[in-house]
Amino acid sequence: MLNVKNIEVAYDKVQVLFDVSFDVKSGEIFCLLGRNGAGKTTALKSIMGLLPLKTGSIQFDNQTLSTMAPYDVPKQGIAYVPQGRGLFSELTVAQNIEIGLMVKNSGAATRERVLDIFPRLRERLKQRADTLSGGEQQMLAMARALSMEPKLLLLDEPTEGLQPSIIKLIQDVIVNMKQAGVAIVLVEHHIETVLTIADRVAFVENGRCQKIAEINDLKNNPEEIHRYLGVN
Amino acid sequence: MEFGPHLLLATLEGAISAAVLALIAVGLSIVFGIMRVVNVAHGEFYMLGAVMAWWITSHVGGHPAIGFLLALIVAPIMVGSIAALADHLILRRINYDPERTIVATIGLLYVLQQLTLMTFGADARPVEAPFNMRIALPWFENGVDGWSMYWPWGLSTTTYKLAVIVAAVVVLVGLWLFMTRTRAGLIMRATQLNRDMALAHGIPVEKIYALVFGLGAGLAALASVLVVPIQQAHYLMGGDPLLLAFIVVIIGGLGSIPGTIVAAILIGMSDGIISVFFSPTLAKILATLLVAFVLIFRPQGLMGKPAK
Repeated sequence: MLNVKNIEVAYDKVQVLFDVSFDVKSGEIFCLLGRNGAGKTTALKSIMGLLPLKTGSIQFDNQTLSTMAPYDVPKQGIAYVPQGRGLFSELTVAQNIEIGLMVKNSGAATRERVLDIFPRLRERLKQRADTLSGGEQQMLAMARALSMEPKLLLLDEPTEGLQPSIIKLIQDVIVNMKQAGVAIVLVEHHIETVLTIADRVAFVENGRCQKIAEINDLKNNPEEIHRYLGVN
Repeated sequence: MEFGPHLLLATLEGAISAAVLALIAVGLSIVFGIMRVVNVAHGEFYMLGAVMAWWITSHVGGHPAIGFLLALIVAPIMVGSIAALADHLILRRINYDPERTIVATIGLLYVLQQLTLMTFGADARPVEAPFNMRIALPWFENGVDGWSMYWPWGLSTTTYKLAVIVAAVVVLVGLWLFMTRTRAGLIMRATQLNRDMALAHGIPVEKIYALVFGLGAGLAALASVLVVPIQQAHYLMGGDPLLLAFIVVIIGGLGSIPGTIVAAILIGMSDGIISVFFSPTLAKILATLLVAFVLIFRPQGLMGKPAK
């Protein structure tokens, strides 16, 4: 489904990604793990076309994303929830979701389905996004992404700074999306979440993809996590 | 004339200045707010609108209203299209870099100004108002028999001047409805709030920028078509409105449309009143001083957001 092949990315003259390759299948949760500044967010932005590639290519469903205009990338069925949520802060909850619905001209049925997943947002439809609590903002970011009816979902630290009940809700939504056949690329620091829901993990270090491992292998070999991340 | 009627006359002149200035400044403000481009050529789009209005009305026969109505529709569209083309040929190629766009729009200013001079000459060109009936205005005095109304000599305005104020209000309300109630307005606001996330939601940001640049220039052109029967079209007429528009946008808060309108009323009214009672130069001096005070004591402007 998603094939990232030998990509190199730089911010002006500072190269951030070096020869990174991975692929993600439909219905799979693929996690990028690494310390801060390793290049995980850069990889997601590159997939979305927000950063140009120096070399390499990114393909999705037999389409080359890396040669498309950035605004055509989401129309292929790719949704992105960035770190910090990236909400349109001065727009209401309803307007944020509407922006997501516009991508595929989805109608009221999709909107209702998304609001059924996050019923708390239904009570706040006319509220500005920047007046929501942190947990509600993350729900809105997820709801906006789901309203795009994605085939591939890119999530950058979706559980960062959230209380356990919201983390559980977000995890459940991610697992439900996977079961519906959506491919998911997850950047996550919360190791418990990774071990609970991911299928495969790529360790990213200094802009290089050092190792790709099955999650069961990691569960049986926790020192691997310690080696790359410095955590137990 | 007594002070009261004189003040009413000055207030009316100020209201016309405020209405026209609000249209020009809102155009400048949406361009800065959405694109983060300081458009130094904005005054030249205003000038182009006036010159085009003169050209159109001088080539259309019949009642002056026919040519004027045509100019009111065609000139803003033409100027907007020229601006969109300039966006495509210049601003997009320098990636909307804030510093480079200032230099580029200064260049655009001179190109538009000199092309107009070469094409239409240096003469000031009049445009006949579509209607221009004089209306005497009443005043009230408290005499021995209580309040009574009378008609002071010289206290009058024209139907056209009142129509300019009404037209500006209608356009500004229409713009507000467009920005807040339409899908296109929602897309523009989303682009303003988060460019990258707009792209990540399928919004063609560069096309939106061209549209916004054209819309901003079109508003300036619309303002000049409205004002050209009161003033005259001239290739150097863009300077003063540009200065006042910058003053208004800074006082109102960069990118804030409500702040821009409030500041346009403040500056336009004071410009009109001070110009009538004292001199236009003093009005400009005071407005510029006001900007200096705003920059010192409230740098974000009346309704702008403080820098984070």
